[in-house]
Amino acid sequence: MIDYNVFREFGTAISHLGEMAQKTDIPDAERVRLAKTVMLSKIDRQMAVDLESCVKCGYCSEACHFFVQTNEAKYVPTRKLDLLRRVYGREVSPLRFVRRIFESEITADELRQWQELVYDSCTECGRCSMACPMGINIARGVNVMRESLAAAGLAPDELTAVAQEQQQRGTVFGVGPKELEAAIAKLRESGLTVPLDEPRAEVLVLTTVIDILLFQDALLATVKIMDHLGLNWTFRTGGFEAANFGLLSGVEDLQRQASRKIIDEAIAIGAKTVIVPECGHAYPALRWEGAAMLGKPLPFEVLAISEFVGREIKAGRLKVKDIGTRKLTYHDACKLGRHGGVLEEPRAALRALGVEIRESDPNAEMNWCCGGGAGVFLINRAAGLRQKAFELKQAQIDATNAEAVVMSCGSCRLNFMNGQVNTGWPVKIESLVELVGNNLRN
Amino acid sequence: MESGIAMDLLALARGPLLWLSLAIFFAGIAWRLYGIFRFGSKPVLSSPRRTALASAGFSTVFSRMLPRRGFHPSATLVTINPYVYHVGLAIVVFGYLPHIDFVKRLTGASWPALPDWVVILAAGATIVSLAMALLFRLTDPVLKLISRADDYITWVVTMLPLLTGMALIAGPSSSVHARETVLYPGPLAIHLLSLELLLVWFPFGKLMHAILFIPGRAQLGMFSARRGARS
Repeated sequence: MIDYNVFREFGTAISHLGEMAQKTDIPDAERVRLAKTVMLSKIDRQMAVDLESCVKCGYCSEACHFFVQTNEAKYVPTRKLDLLRRVYGREVSPLRFVRRIFESEITADELRQWQELVYDSCTECGRCSMACPMGINIARGVNVMRESLAAAGLAPDELTAVAQEQQQRGTVFGVGPKELEAAIAKLRESGLTVPLDEPRAEVLVLTTVIDILLFQDALLATVKIMDHLGLNWTFRTGGFEAANFGLLSGVEDLQRQASRKIIDEAIAIGAKTVIVPECGHAYPALRWEGAAMLGKPLPFEVLAISEFVGREIKAGRLKVKDIGTRKLTYHDACKLGRHGGVLEEPRAALRALGVEIRESDPNAEMNWCCGGGAGVFLINRAAGLRQKAFELKQAQIDATNAEAVVMSCGSCRLNFMNGQVNTGWPVKIESLVELVGNNLRN
Repeated sequence: MESGIAMDLLALARGPLLWLSLAIFFAGIAWRLYGIFRFGSKPVLSSPRRTALASAGFSTVFSRMLPRRGFHPSATLVTINPYVYHVGLAIVVFGYLPHIDFVKRLTGASWPALPDWVVILAAGATIVSLAMALLFRLTDPVLKLISRADDYITWVVTMLPLLTGMALIAGPSSSVHARETVLYPGPLAIHLLSLELLLVWFPFGKLMHAILFIPGRAQLGMFSARRGARS
């Protein structure tokens, strides 16, 4: 059960995050040079096709929750790639000799203007690509823009502060190995066996700062599930944090460092499987980008906890009680669903629980983002915009007449809870892993 | 226009200018595609959730031709209009008998023509539809903000051959087909010149989307399929 007072305290604490960022004073010309260097380093064939293809139809605007909820033209997704297009066009495109005459250099002021466009008003949810008749992967371009702005010292202070903490101290929101040990000691008080720092294990289970600080029930449920399955598993103090603020803020070195901590631990203990907790971006960070951080294919499989649970239920190894009669809807987190393919397994888990699943419209790959992903939840100045985007989600859930919305992403859950606090929304917000972990059947 | 001058202009438009515009068209497309595809692709090292990536890419090329559910309808999302001018242009370019004769003279290839009334109806609808597209671009805040010179130049070079072609129609296409001589050399020359303008602009502007939609859609289809999601 979530204590909303703790949640409010958590909210107050993160509202001061930005004050902790160590700022660097970079001359404007240097900012432009640094941003351009990153942009040009990221141009490959796929990016070139994407940057050459836009027909300026504006369809992507209708797919974007930030545009739909504000009707402000500046949020049209394709425009978020304009600086990248100009750098590509002037420097390396096949028509660069002509485009240099007609298109101006990007400026530091434009980079500052783009902070709002690629951080505050984009969760890299990828829904715009579903509407694009040319198939442009706009989210990927936005991620490159984030990396460019981060290199130019223009990432939002909140993300910079957490990224610096993770890079310099190895902790996130002050949570490191000691805090993990304390959380595990508390879990052990319930009589459960919680393996920690086992030298060898088949399964490495990750957790995240949010579960340790706030969603301890999700952590407990994960342990119950692993215990129920009788697997050879462990947490590792050397690599437990799934959150990757390198990916969120756009600092690739940190992304690599954070991913390598986990990968190295998994390899050291001979893990065959690594389970990522309910944390949206943590899944693509390891599942889809982890191998690139290692420089070769990962020698283990990576599963989101919702994927793992659904798979074990379908295989008959994980048995759950029929909790019947409840009407629930499932929110597909963008990073797990549209950009992750984890669509069927969570629903298989809900079906096994015997509940009535009331699908939202649209759902699965076309689902609306909650508005808080990709670190947007932490950006103070984005609060109003984020709330507007959330109201679209809220209306979508309300239309299902479900009594609760289930999700498997901590960032979504935080944003849903924040929206609930803001509006007094009566719909219950539940975690999939908690629903399963609390209803295990022997 | 004096008939001598008109005949000279037509000879120019049918001869050197046509070949020059075709040369720019093909060389420009080749240059632009080379400039895009010369970039390498980093190998994707993560294990795919699905393996039939090529077929997913192929099917996305076609599935993106259809409108889809899940997006809010609004003034910017006028889904019918682009279908009208895309289909209309295809009918006019490939279905009109004099156009087929023109291609046959150049390449030897030919195919059955559509009835004149179908082509004229398609041309009229296309002109209206393109005019609406311009209206949207000039009035919709999103389209106004994202539009560039390319969008307007492309509109002009697409509209000109339609208008100059419509101005040429003075009887059934079968009579044009049967006739050895050109009745209106001046207007025909202008029509050909407008086509040549389009051919010259094609590789440099967004008309290239007529080619780039294939790799663009295919790579997104493969990206999504690799991750186990539909695109």
